[in-house]
Amino acid sequence: MMELENSSVMTVSNSGSGEGSVSSSSQLQPPAPPPQPPPPNPVVKKKRNLPGTPDPEAEVIALSPKTLLATNRFVCEICNKGFQRDQNLQLHRRGHNLPWKLRQRTGKEPRKRVYVCPEPSCVHHDPSRALGDLTGIKKHFCRKHGEKKWKCDKCSKKYAVQSDWKAHSKVCGTREYRCDCGTLFSRRDSFITHRAFCDALAEESTKKGPGAPASDPKPPAEEEKATATEEATAAEEVTAATEAAVETAPAAVVAAPLPPQQVAPLELQEPAEPTELPQYMPPPSASLANTSGVTCSSSSNTSLFASLFASTTSTAAAHSTATFSDLMSVMGHADRPLTEPPSLCLATNGGPASLFSPQAQSHDRRPFAPPPPSPHMSATALLQKAAQMGAAATGSSFLKGFGLDASSGQQENIQGDGLQWGHHHGQPRQLELEPEPAPMLSAGLGLGLPYEPDLMMGSSSLFGSKPATLDFLGLGMAPVGGTANGGLSALMTSVTGSGGLNMGSGTAAAGWEGTERKPSSPAIR
Amino acid sequence: MTQFTRSAPPPPPLHPNGVGLCLAMDASKPSLYRSRPWPGLPVSSESLGSLNSVNCMEQLLVQCANAIESNDATLAQQILWVLNNIAPPDGDSNQRLTSAFLRALIARASKTGSCKMLTAVAARADADLALHVHRFSVIDLASFIDLTPWHRFGYTAANAAIAEAVEGVPAIHIVDLTTTHCMQMPTLIDLLANRPEGPPLIRLTVPSLTTTAPPPPMLDMSYDELGSRLVNFARSRNVAMEFMVIPSDPSDAFDSLIEQLRVQRLVSEDEVVIVNCQMLLHYIPEETVGAIATTMSVNSPTLSLRKMFLEALRGLEPTLVTVVDEDADFTESDLVGRLRSAFNYLWIPYDTVDTFLPRGSERRRWYEAGVRWKIENVIAQEGLQRVERVEPKGRWAQRMRAAGFRSAGFTEEAAAEVKSMLDEHAAGWGLKKEEEELVLTWKGHNVVFAAAWVPC
Repeated sequence: MMELENSSVMTVSNSGSGEGSVSSSSQLQPPAPPPQPPPPNPVVKKKRNLPGTPDPEAEVIALSPKTLLATNRFVCEICNKGFQRDQNLQLHRRGHNLPWKLRQRTGKEPRKRVYVCPEPSCVHHDPSRALGDLTGIKKHFCRKHGEKKWKCDKCSKKYAVQSDWKAHSKVCGTREYRCDCGTLFSRRDSFITHRAFCDALAEESTKKGPGAPASDPKPPAEEEKATATEEATAAEEVTAATEAAVETAPAAVVAAPLPPQQVAPLELQEPAEPTELPQYMPPPSASLANTSGVTCSSSSNTSLFASLFASTTSTAAAHSTATFSDLMSVMGHADRPLTEPPSLCLATNGGPASLFSPQAQSHDRRPFAPPPPSPHMSATALLQKAAQMGAAATGSSFLKGFGLDASSGQQENIQGDGLQWGHHHGQPRQLELEPEPAPMLSAGLGLGLPYEPDLMMGSSSLFGSKPATLDFLGLGMAPVGGTANGGLSALMTSVTGSGGLNMGSGTAAAGWEGTERKPSSPAIR
Repeated sequence: MTQFTRSAPPPPPLHPNGVGLCLAMDASKPSLYRSRPWPGLPVSSESLGSLNSVNCMEQLLVQCANAIESNDATLAQQILWVLNNIAPPDGDSNQRLTSAFLRALIARASKTGSCKMLTAVAARADADLALHVHRFSVIDLASFIDLTPWHRFGYTAANAAIAEAVEGVPAIHIVDLTTTHCMQMPTLIDLLANRPEGPPLIRLTVPSLTTTAPPPPMLDMSYDELGSRLVNFARSRNVAMEFMVIPSDPSDAFDSLIEQLRVQRLVSEDEVVIVNCQMLLHYIPEETVGAIATTMSVNSPTLSLRKMFLEALRGLEPTLVTVVDEDADFTESDLVGRLRSAFNYLWIPYDTVDTFLPRGSERRRWYEAGVRWKIENVIAQEGLQRVERVEPKGRWAQRMRAAGFRSAGFTEEAAAEVKSMLDEHAAGWGLKKEEEELVLTWKGHNVVFAAAWVPC
């Protein structure tokens, strides 16, 4: 039994076994595989391929699952001994004292080979998604479709490929980064990224705020730079952060809402310069994350906190007065008369205001709207309306299958006519379409108009997850025994025959045989 | 002949004329098809298994696109019906990919068809064209961008290049042009904080996109708050940092941002400027947008906003410009060509996420929704609304050189850094080190490239 392998001793012609198979450039062998003459020696082209497109000249090889999983794939043809590697096989063959002719490999340069996955449902089953190297396809098959025989002791993760398992065991548990919020990370970069934005860091800085003196920002003594093992230094980092936090230089701050209990430490901060753009900020205010982090506008709101930190008697910018007072009132410090609450979200005391709701700055959308009906519903509308019209319908049975025809009398056959968008055959009924089917359509399309979706499956998704039904229009209908136009096949045949395909005969053929971007598919004869 | 698989029948021969006969002429299953007349045609994915190959799906999509472009509603509907039945949106990754393209084609058909009756529905469809894209909390986004190395690859490469470029420099100004809302910055800050000579003063400027439909991912936090957290984090690492947000948009080549940077240049001439571009540059319109008369009237065959932007960058005398983007070509004016390119590239994100996230996973839904946004934009939009104008790395290299930059390349250490990062991810990710770029690969196919440029 011969298995397919890399050695050119086994040529393409030896595909008679039940184990491996080779499909040469564009043909899939018929069920009774005749031994083929070896393909002509091609010139190996080392050109670079476009992404996603294996070399079209490459030979597509489909190995059997057994072959892919086998570990001894290189077999000596003389004594049938198996080897894991081709080099080992060659070394072994030398020992057989072969005559010179047979010792050489057949001289042709091996064609570039790409490998497809034998599993039909796999994305790599198609030649245009073939993988370039044998080890790759083996590993892929093993990982994806093979049994996971290897299990990590520490975390019980399972692997199908032994090298994957080994690689994992090396790192499992050796490095662990824990954020203050409790999340564990195995990779440092994801830990760092998380930590930078985590509420835990912000809150830590806040808590340590009031205790330290506020003056020039010299780094506190106990501050350390982070090192590799984060667990030990995490606590110290936080301490350092909080220490440093309090000693920042005064500056304008980015506007952020303040919960009442944080006002006291803020008052200790130096007055900010209101005119600077948001730069440094006193950490307690900046790091407050217990609200939704709402700010009132993008870059122009420098003065809000500037005014907050300015002495109470002098307010910086006029337009921040309202907010300032409002804020203060919210915090219970009624130093200033209240003005009307601004439309800014600060007025809501810590409520989780959506950034984009009142202001709707640059993003004008409804953040939490229910999923809108899909835009492609309009094609559905067209079809339904076409059915209603009965004009140039795409075959009566076609649409009846969709149950579009409430009245089953519309059996116009449009074979060969072609329904053109907007080109109706002057049926008088079409004028009635607008008012009548529109509500049904709209409801059916989930557009929110107040008619019950009697035609729809009640789902706003155009393509419901009911593959067994004709759900194109979202209508799950039982087949109606309409006039048999020979089925879609005949329909499409006639369409094809009548030139409905606009690709042009030349390109059509080329298209099917595979474009220059893809290897020819074995699926196409 | 694949004798070993008994379960899947050999795909039927396809008539050279195209899809028409692929169902009718299945010689191996004559009874199945003939005995089930329309409309009882078997519609399950299995019985249409012959159509399940990705090649077939692509051909169907191409023919559907042709039909739509030539206003052949009949054919388009038919193909759409077939596609819908072989490509459920919750199927395998190929089916999901095809389903996304299918939806995009329908969206396109509803806009470009000349059917009068569509106008009412089309208007509504336009409003809904912005897909419901998930808004991430900042912590969710931080973990989301690390699902795959798609973004982390560019971050790591750029960070290495930046750190090297600013050795010994006491103060730097970083302009962060990304779609991922400063997610690269924490690791950069961390890297710079660990410099032997101590960290530099960092000034960070980011644009906040002013467009009504920004590309995903969407962040559910203001940039001001985001910046404050970053500054706080920097402080925790003993790094002084300033944060500035400038409302600006790629649709006008970041005009307001460039202006701001120019002004700052005048103020502080010696400032070291680093421009870090991660997947955002391809939203700037380029030459092929010129077909439509725009108010700006700057787009012509030889001039484009993209070109102007790069020249403006050059005018800022930056110390380093990192360019990271997707290695594909979505700029073809011809729909079918664009569809092919997009189909042959965007299978990759579906495949990568299929590898390790289960089908029902929420994060996978978000991820795929992001990809669907791209597909819908590439296929269903035209003109200035079509913002996904990805160009391959070779073209970007040409542009940079034309604008007066030369490639700085990446050091071996940088490549090693990226490689070790990739090793921590799922197998299947690879790294190619080329003359001018580092390229992230998935199962051997190019995904994302990273390049570093300096003024020459």
